[in-house]
Amino acid sequence: MSRRVAVTGLGVVSSIGIGKDEFWKNLIQGKTGISKVESFNPAPYGRSFGGEVKNFDPLKFMLNREVKRTGRASQLAIAAAELTLTDAKIESSMLDPDKSAVLIGTTMGETSVFEIVNKAWFEKGLEEVEPFMVGRTTANLLSVNLGIHLKIGGINLVIPTACAAGNYAIGYGYDLIKEGRVDFAICGGADAFSRIAFTGFARLYAMSPDICQPFDKNRKGMLVGEGAAILILEPLEKAKERGATIYAEILGYGLSCDASHMTIPSEDGITRCMQNALKETGVSPEEVNYISAHGTGTVQNDLNECAAIKNVLGEATKKVAASSIKSMLGHCMGAASGIEAISCCLAVSEDIMPPTINYQTPDPDCDIDCVPNEARRAKVNIALNNAYAFGGNNSCVVFKKYAG
Amino acid sequence: MQDKIVITGIGVLSSIGIGKDAFWQALQEGKSGVKPVTLFDTSKLKVKMGAEISDFNPGAILGEKGLRNLDRATKLLLCAGKLALDDAKLEITEENSTSFGISIGTTLGSLWSISEFDKSALRDGPHFVNPAEFPNTVINSPPSQLAIRLKSKGPCATISSGFTSSLDAIKYGIDLIRNKRAQIVLGGGVEEFCEQTYLGFYKVNFLAGVKGPELNCPFDQRRNGIIFGEGSAILVLESEESAKKRGANIYARILGFGTYFYPYAINKYEPQGYGLKKAMRLALDDASVAPFEVDYISAAANSTRDADIIETGAVKDLWGAKAGKVAISATKSMLGETFSASGVLAAVATTGSIQKGFIPATLNYKEKDSSCDLDYVANSARKAKINKALVNAFGPSGSNSCMVIGE
Repeated sequence: MSRRVAVTGLGVVSSIGIGKDEFWKNLIQGKTGISKVESFNPAPYGRSFGGEVKNFDPLKFMLNREVKRTGRASQLAIAAAELTLTDAKIESSMLDPDKSAVLIGTTMGETSVFEIVNKAWFEKGLEEVEPFMVGRTTANLLSVNLGIHLKIGGINLVIPTACAAGNYAIGYGYDLIKEGRVDFAICGGADAFSRIAFTGFARLYAMSPDICQPFDKNRKGMLVGEGAAILILEPLEKAKERGATIYAEILGYGLSCDASHMTIPSEDGITRCMQNALKETGVSPEEVNYISAHGTGTVQNDLNECAAIKNVLGEATKKVAASSIKSMLGHCMGAASGIEAISCCLAVSEDIMPPTINYQTPDPDCDIDCVPNEARRAKVNIALNNAYAFGGNNSCVVFKKYAG
Repeated sequence: MQDKIVITGIGVLSSIGIGKDAFWQALQEGKSGVKPVTLFDTSKLKVKMGAEISDFNPGAILGEKGLRNLDRATKLLLCAGKLALDDAKLEITEENSTSFGISIGTTLGSLWSISEFDKSALRDGPHFVNPAEFPNTVINSPPSQLAIRLKSKGPCATISSGFTSSLDAIKYGIDLIRNKRAQIVLGGGVEEFCEQTYLGFYKVNFLAGVKGPELNCPFDQRRNGIIFGEGSAILVLESEESAKKRGANIYARILGFGTYFYPYAINKYEPQGYGLKKAMRLALDDASVAPFEVDYISAAANSTRDADIIETGAVKDLWGAKAGKVAISATKSMLGETFSASGVLAAVATTGSIQKGFIPATLNYKEKDSSCDLDYVANSARKAKINKALVNAFGPSGSNSCMVIGE
């Protein structure tokens, strides 16, 4: 069996908006979600900005007792899932547990709970740690909590492939729908703002002191963000039958592993990943209109990504636009590629390319059209969603406009 | 399952043996890996036992180079990968590197690294953490380090689904092959023995010895919790066609797979075992195997009260009046509960059963529990020809997976 795969629901919780409409409006206005970190005192880090979601109230999406027994990453995922189900006009009773999958990508898992437990353990001793808190720390709970919240059985997995995790989850959802193993895939990524990630990126000197400027000659690094994005995938024919809104069709995806370094992305690995995506989907370089770049704003990432895009698209690079919405959101870890997937779906359905903000000085080594500073109205038939990760776990998902 | 996927290489590190031959031998002899914990101090705890790999010397398997900065889980996985590739007589070269994929189940594999990294920042300040240790804090670190070590350039995936992680990772790996994203996949799992994980299970009252004697005795009346263990195992997976083309030795065939999450509660077993029954049924259907054709069930039973009753109940539900005829045993009675690694360790054990013609025992079985009254192959291994076997994995938060392996 080989079925076409449609995206029929978009749910997002981000620093620039909760719900796809607010998110998209702010995204194409080039609004930034970066602000002073408040979830802990950033003073000792020498860095103080991040992309926290400051107005998130989990009680709008779940009961108080659920809020108490879940960590922030699960809460973000549950909120995004509620938003996407509403958007797709799906009641959870419509989801046949024999034909459903819940797939969540993450980098840090249930890190907000773990960080509290670890700190209490270190500072006060094990006796002071609440047992129920310990039981809430494991990464697998993101999809488990979502499954319990929605009362959906079936396939239920966390795919923690770091910063490409959202794409991995969406890709596997695509496989399951295509093969007829499920009729609904609820998939995406979630990560809560993490002290540990903040510590690590600050120490690697990979973090910008102020703004994130992907592809700019003077770019100073990435910023840590948080959020969640959940998409609904359905077989195209069934989606049409039930009169669903079809935002985009997923044509397929490509994966690769750098197998070279844990933290430095490789041009070769990214090139192979994009090539695999084009090969699988039969899309030619000339057909690609838009790339949602991984674009973290670090010197190495942007350099290698631009080189890889040129390797893959060749002459066609001149006609393609590749922007990084991390310029607005920071790097939302495992949620990043999920949020970027939503941006791709809206780009192909609305024919608008979101901008790379904070772009001031062109870098001759990153001479791609990054849609600088202002969104652009342009035909977007094919969009690629690039996402790379620690460990060199690369991914690229291909979205196509659904013309009816 | 339409495409025939076979196992052509095995790498295993466990508390009862390193390498498949030692592991299978120990299983046949009924050796237990449970002993007093040595990796950290347990003097202040009520519990003292664990199933550590006490003779773990990664340098002997991998050479000494490049191991500095790697955590225990990563070293365990790298060793399993090396043993598996050698066993399959495979070499990853510049030419074939993109045809290899990696799919590994782990949930707590990076926990020690995450905790220590964070503690170092809390103790010394964030500027004094070792940047070389930061990459170990991502959950996909052990599989990614394996890819780097082996120069495996195809897809590299990590699956975290708790107790079912490594079976789920094997399934993900099979899908990579079927969707032509990789030709050969190293599929498996890893979980390390460390203070954080041990104390975590202790804290949530999951360990044996908190509420009764510190015993590892699946299906036995005295059971009261798990003995935590560690392990790592990798199966080399490929299509039968690929295996035959390269003249590979085929250990076993993966006939079917079923997974079913049942939404119930966090860290609590759903007493009816609906999800486990469903996963077993899906796996048998996928394999087109009827229950009466199954010669052996490798149980997930881990010596907790609820899990062993649920699994017994699931077998009775599927086998009906014939439930007493099928041999069931819990290798966790020897290996302890290795969490995310448990599924693949059971799969390796079952492959040994098929290859060597034996059913491993359920150790420490003495006092019968009236609600667990099937054939558990008590205390000593049994000679038997195994054509088809079922491997179960399930946990308290609702995840259930099951794999059918055949000759």
